[in-house]
Amino acid sequence: MINRIMIAAVIVAGALLPLQATALDLPKGKVVLTVTGTKLDHPNVGGKAQFDMPMLEALAGRTGEMETPWTEGVVKFSGPLLRSVLEAAGAHGTKLKVIALNDYAADLPMEDATSLDTMLATRMDGKLMSVRDKGPLFLVYPFDKDQGLFNEKYFSRSVWQIKDIEVTE
Amino acid sequence: MITAAQQSGDIIRKASKATVVLQCFAVLLLLGLVFLFADISRKYSALQDGIRENALWSVYQLDREARRLHETLHIMLVENDLTPERIKALGTRYDILYSRMNILDKTSFETKFKLDAAVAEQVTAIRDAVFGRSAVFDRLAAGDPVDPVQLETADSEFERLVENTEKLLLYTNSTVSIERAEARDAVLDLQMKSAGLVALLVCCVVFLILTLRRQLKSVQLAGLSLEAISNQLKESYLAAEAGNRAKSQFMATMGHEIRTPLNAILGTAELLELSPLPPSVAPGLQTIRRSGQALLEIINEILDFAKSEHGKLDVETRAVDVRAVVTATVEMVRDRATEHGNRIALELPISFTTPVISSDPTRLRQVLLNLLSNAIKFTSEGTVTLRVLEIGDPQDAQLRFEIEDTGIGIDGEGLGKLFQPFSQVDASISRKYGGTGLGLTICKQIVEALSGTIGVNSRKGEGSIFWFVIPANPAEKGLVDALAAKAAPQQFQSWNILLVEDNVINQQVAAGFLAHLGQLVTIANDGLEAVKLTETTRFDLVLMDMQMPRLDGIEATKQIRASNGFSRNAPIIAMTANASDDDRRLCEEAGMTGFQSKPVSMHQLRGIIGSLEAAAETAVEPVQSPSIDNAFETRRLEIVEALGEETFDELLSSFFEDASLLLTDLHSALAVNDHRHTDHLLHTLKGAASSVGLQDVADRSQDLRHASITETVLADLEDTVTRYRQLLVA
Repeated sequence: MINRIMIAAVIVAGALLPLQATALDLPKGKVVLTVTGTKLDHPNVGGKAQFDMPMLEALAGRTGEMETPWTEGVVKFSGPLLRSVLEAAGAHGTKLKVIALNDYAADLPMEDATSLDTMLATRMDGKLMSVRDKGPLFLVYPFDKDQGLFNEKYFSRSVWQIKDIEVTE
Repeated sequence: MITAAQQSGDIIRKASKATVVLQCFAVLLLLGLVFLFADISRKYSALQDGIRENALWSVYQLDREARRLHETLHIMLVENDLTPERIKALGTRYDILYSRMNILDKTSFETKFKLDAAVAEQVTAIRDAVFGRSAVFDRLAAGDPVDPVQLETADSEFERLVENTEKLLLYTNSTVSIERAEARDAVLDLQMKSAGLVALLVCCVVFLILTLRRQLKSVQLAGLSLEAISNQLKESYLAAEAGNRAKSQFMATMGHEIRTPLNAILGTAELLELSPLPPSVAPGLQTIRRSGQALLEIINEILDFAKSEHGKLDVETRAVDVRAVVTATVEMVRDRATEHGNRIALELPISFTTPVISSDPTRLRQVLLNLLSNAIKFTSEGTVTLRVLEIGDPQDAQLRFEIEDTGIGIDGEGLGKLFQPFSQVDASISRKYGGTGLGLTICKQIVEALSGTIGVNSRKGEGSIFWFVIPANPAEKGLVDALAAKAAPQQFQSWNILLVEDNVINQQVAAGFLAHLGQLVTIANDGLEAVKLTETTRFDLVLMDMQMPRLDGIEATKQIRASNGFSRNAPIIAMTANASDDDRRLCEEAGMTGFQSKPVSMHQLRGIIGSLEAAAETAVEPVQSPSIDNAFETRRLEIVEALGEETFDELLSSFFEDASLLLTDLHSALAVNDHRHTDHLLHTLKGAASSVGLQDVADRSQDLRHASITETVLADLEDTVTRYRQLLVA
């Protein structure tokens, strides 16, 4: 009898867990990225998820040294993984639209975030990037891990001066 | 046929030429493919290197951002709206343009865009314009008070900038278009090249298929024609073979036909020579005999050669007493050697390790005779030596025969021609010495058939050594050649011999020889007569011809052996012209004792009788019950014929009385060791025994005269006499 009650309690607790998802902390500094979507699990400001630089840099990320067409020589990029940013925002969807300060936008499939270690680079050679230097955020594909990505298809998706990400179904 | 063969050859040669061409073509094709692949891979790697940012897009973005900056600034100035938000937005626009400029500077583009001098010049102007204003915007971003005049200046400068960026955009567009066209051309070129090579490939494959087809067809044709040729050749070969066989058959028949009368001539001549002849006839008769002998040798050589050419040189392995064969052979040529004034010498080992070897005595003798005859022929007033050596290991024993002469010798050139058919050292040889030139060829073939080797060492003018080596395998027991058995003594006792022979001339010759040798001869004309005679008469020897009408030699022998007649155990010696292995086996199976090739010469008969005598001697050795032998029977018949039966009986009984007296005397003489008296008594006994035909007793008495006589052997003799007495008188 006692066992049954305990099992029921565990089941109820398990069912309630997703509802207990906490919202993102409010950005304390200057907002550098806004994630919007039809369904965000953890919005923090008006149904959107906004991030300042310390919030982004606190997320799980990676560092990679690579050559890109837009930089000279081998450059070290570091920053949160795109998927950890999306997870932090609780975004679900199949398509991403990455929008830059100059309104340049690129559509990319969700797989680019989930199956590739694509990062939102915040630093180049250890330094934060200014707008003049493709900052503040630069979508960097793992060219160092997969040479097959080094082509025009991924070049056009490599958006810099990112300000917004829209997640759609 | 030859033309067909040539055609086939041509076809095959052509086909192989085509193959060579095809091979070259295939190699070229392969090279082409390699080049094509290299080209493609080069192009591909160039393509890989060319994965770069799009220059036109970057310039477009630069132009666009320049316009937007100019537009924003212009509107701000026109509206005179210098609020911090607008100022901040303006700063962002400038930063974006700045970053665009940076991109243009730092990015590697897919084209040679940056290497273009015109581009470089324009880019420099634009860069100066953009970066030149950075101080103003830095101050704005830092929140310094806005100076409208500076903004005005910037505005007008940006207007020029926009013009420049537009110019660059247009220029870039045309450059990129040209490059794209060029790239397309390059791709087209590559495609054309590939297409060309593929076309070549297709051509080559088609050519290959066609050539292979043609080749296959021609090779097939050539194969068929070659098959036809081979069939024709086979037919021709068979025809030639048949012709050759017919020729050999003819030669064999002719040889046989010639030999039979020739044997008669020779035999008759030999017989005539034995009788007293007037001096005017004797040399002529000798010439007849010698010429006949020479003719016989030539015919034999030719027949042997015909046989050997046909691969039918018979070799019959039997037990061969080497010493006997060698001695007999030397004896055969001694007369001839003497005629040439040559001395003949025989050098033999004191004792042979293998005295009786397994080989072919007839062939061995033939080779020895041939080599000895040659040596004698080419030597005058010299020495011919026959040397026999045992060489080799005990496991691999060999006999080396050397025939050395001190004759004319042979030079190096002549040595090469020896052993070749129908060749003599030179033509003058055949004129001077005669001969077919086949002798050595036959010798070589015989020696090789006996698994041996033959050779010669010679120097012109110094004589020659002809030698041959044959294996000396110890013989198993078997029929020992009748002739080789024992060197024959000149004088024989008289034996009762049955000659079975259908040919009248041969009868006469053989009977003449036997009579000359002091033998009693009874003649049977065929097998049937022989069988009848052996039933009623005791013969010491039967000489049996093989081919006879009514009953042949084999069958007659079987019947004699199977009968209950007097002569059922008499030795029977076969006489045949062609002694093959089969014949020999048949003879042995029929129960024959020995074998003699025809024509039978005086010499051979002497040998046969010699061996008969030797056999009789050995047979007497052990004490055995005495039997009425032929000598006794002959003597009895003689006396009965001359004096009558009664007288013979009286003579016989008085002999036995005398003998017992003589033996008693012998005992007493022996007791006192009176040798002279003993010898005298034995002599008397021998004479008495001989007179009544008791040859056995006579011989033994005679033997005792030369041996040391003891009481035992005397008792033995006495015993023998007693037994004869019981046998004959009772």
